[in-house]
Amino acid sequence: MKKLVTILFSLLFVLAATGFVFAGGDSEVSESAGAGNLAASLAVDVSVLKAADGQALIKLEGAERVVPARPADPSALPETDPLHWWDMEFAGEITNKTNIPESPADGAIGKKITMIVHGDHPWTTACTNGAQKVADVYSMDIKIQSPNWDLAVQNQMIDQAINERPDMILLIPLDAKTALQQARKINKSGIPLLLFNMLPEAAAMDYAIGWTGPDDFGQMRKLSHIFADALGKKGGVAYVQHAPGGSPYFARCFGPISELAGYAPDIKVLDKQAPGFEADKTMQLVSDWLTRFGDDLTGIFASDDSAQALGIIEALKKVGREDVIVVAAGNSKVGMDLVKDGGLYAITYQTAEGDGALAVKTAADWFNGKEIPAITNIPQHMITKADVDSFYPPQW
Amino acid sequence: MPNHYEVWGVTMLKKNINKASLLTFADKNRIYILFNFVFLFMTLLAPRFFNVFNLTTIMRTLAMNATVAIGFTIILIIGQIDFTIGTVVTLSGIIGLGLKEYIGFGGSVPVAILAGGLIGLINGLLVAKAKIVSFIVTLGMMTILQGAIYTFTGGNTISLSSDDAFAVSDWLSNMIFPLVTPRVLITLVLVTAATIFMKKTRTGRNFYMLGGNKHTAWLAGINTDKYTIAAFILSGVMAAIGGVFFAMESAAATLNMGTSSLMYVISATIIGGTAMSGGKGGVFKTFVAIMMLDVLYNGIILFGLGNEVKIFIAGFILASVVLYEAYAIYKHEKIVGQRPELLKELEKVQ
Repeated sequence: MKKLVTILFSLLFVLAATGFVFAGGDSEVSESAGAGNLAASLAVDVSVLKAADGQALIKLEGAERVVPARPADPSALPETDPLHWWDMEFAGEITNKTNIPESPADGAIGKKITMIVHGDHPWTTACTNGAQKVADVYSMDIKIQSPNWDLAVQNQMIDQAINERPDMILLIPLDAKTALQQARKINKSGIPLLLFNMLPEAAAMDYAIGWTGPDDFGQMRKLSHIFADALGKKGGVAYVQHAPGGSPYFARCFGPISELAGYAPDIKVLDKQAPGFEADKTMQLVSDWLTRFGDDLTGIFASDDSAQALGIIEALKKVGREDVIVVAAGNSKVGMDLVKDGGLYAITYQTAEGDGALAVKTAADWFNGKEIPAITNIPQHMITKADVDSFYPPQW
Repeated sequence: MPNHYEVWGVTMLKKNINKASLLTFADKNRIYILFNFVFLFMTLLAPRFFNVFNLTTIMRTLAMNATVAIGFTIILIIGQIDFTIGTVVTLSGIIGLGLKEYIGFGGSVPVAILAGGLIGLINGLLVAKAKIVSFIVTLGMMTILQGAIYTFTGGNTISLSSDDAFAVSDWLSNMIFPLVTPRVLITLVLVTAATIFMKKTRTGRNFYMLGGNKHTAWLAGINTDKYTIAAFILSGVMAAIGGVFFAMESAAATLNMGTSSLMYVISATIIGGTAMSGGKGGVFKTFVAIMMLDVLYNGIILFGLGNEVKIFIAGFILASVVLYEAYAIYKHEKIVGQRPELLKELEKVQ
């Protein structure tokens, strides 16, 4: 026993000594202070940057939205009322900012930022490519981390980022509700936080300098109008939902349901299911729907334009039901090819590169001392067969 | 006469060392050697690795999986498998937070832990009494629980945002002394208790006997059904404890918060030296394996490397351990029944 204790203590001592020797002096401070930096940073023009699809990397036209007054108790309204979703759709519009650090207003050049995304996916790759492009023009040192959809790992990454003391943390929360505690923790550390892409619950916005990303509800409302028009404002519709938990789960199902309740009340909701993001499971689901609803099923609204859309189209082809109108959220190569092919009637233009780029640009604006809006959206556009060619080559 | 002895599961060398005893020492202590190597490597090379904040982060990260792994190691020691651990983690988090509003944490946490125990009891009964293979039982139970969770929550994350919930959350994540938060302390106490129980009590050693050879265990008078059921209950309870305290610290329980735990815990338990065939292994070794993996993952992040590197390295270590185990079994089977000392005598005569 004595021997074991001696070994353990010796080992601990060696580790501690070497650790302090080698790790003690690596506190890094970004070299960015000074008026020259601010002037140079303000002179940076990101409008010339292009995404892989040839579109402007950062474009704010078409991103404006009208915010209705909040009802006294949105949850008391029925789910088919658009205002029922007010707290989710307009999260962050009413905030009580807490302990937000003041901008140093000394320029963005050379600043160190840590970007923590949600997981590995072609979309994420495109998103981080866009972020990197903007970081490069500002000569920002950006560190991108992915927890691969694991909340415990994302929490660990947040702790490690706090330990590394970057100039800002950019975070895509894995989940709208867990974002609150994550935002509180970063806020308490004094490091400025910018949330992006995934809309967290409203309270989390209090602890962030702002939020950037797509107006998922808004896009789905617009897409549902095109969808309803194609259906002649009548028929039966089924919804292939997003993964439960995040804002897209609600936005891409209850967004169109609540919008169509007003715009096309004769359209019936037949069913809504979340089969995940595998083509075969979606194909099975749609095949079941076709058996169950027969000709009553005239439209399908999907929350993903790649694997889910492929499964839907395949199921429809098998039974010769190409008359069913299908629309989907997303902007992938698969989705655009399906629009071109005629399988999908419309998809949303949701620039992945622009999403990441806008987050970094907003961070740069903050370092430059500019006022940051609580919410900044990427532009909205619906892609149909008429204009799909102008969005090639796809971003992901 | 063996030239090594064991202290709390750590194999120590006697004075008269030779090459064979050194190899035995390295083999028996491979997880400690591996951990020390990884820790030293990260300490020397990973930026900002060796400081109290980061080491505490590692401890906080491993707390959930280390707790879950206690029960899973016992399951593997008795030669069974439990696929429900990840789902029980999620379920206990959801129950612990979902019932808090009605009965407070004082009521909801025990209910969540009991729920984990109940699931373990059902699994154990089906395996021990209905004689269904644990692979099938727990796979089926996992699917049922996933469906129940989605039905119960309606696809929503359960979260708390009241001041008292945040107070508990903050308390659970605050350091009480270097490297240790209350949640880490719970894990350390459980790991220590389980290690003593498994190594130093007859009941604990009976689990090894059951996993080593069920028939022999039965002949020795061990109630094998009772031990099998107890192992599954322990597995469910430990998974529930891990899940509910993690959810309390996060102030939220997502529907997939335990998803990654399953593969992680299986890998760590095997890397820690617990044999999938049963009868061999230990809770403390699994704990060290989890520490090793978390130090490794932490270092990978500090180096700025991607998730793919992490997956690759974890897979590489697991594959190496499994290959080594297969080789060790092959070598062992080759010499079964041989008497090396007699062979040496024979060589001398010839």
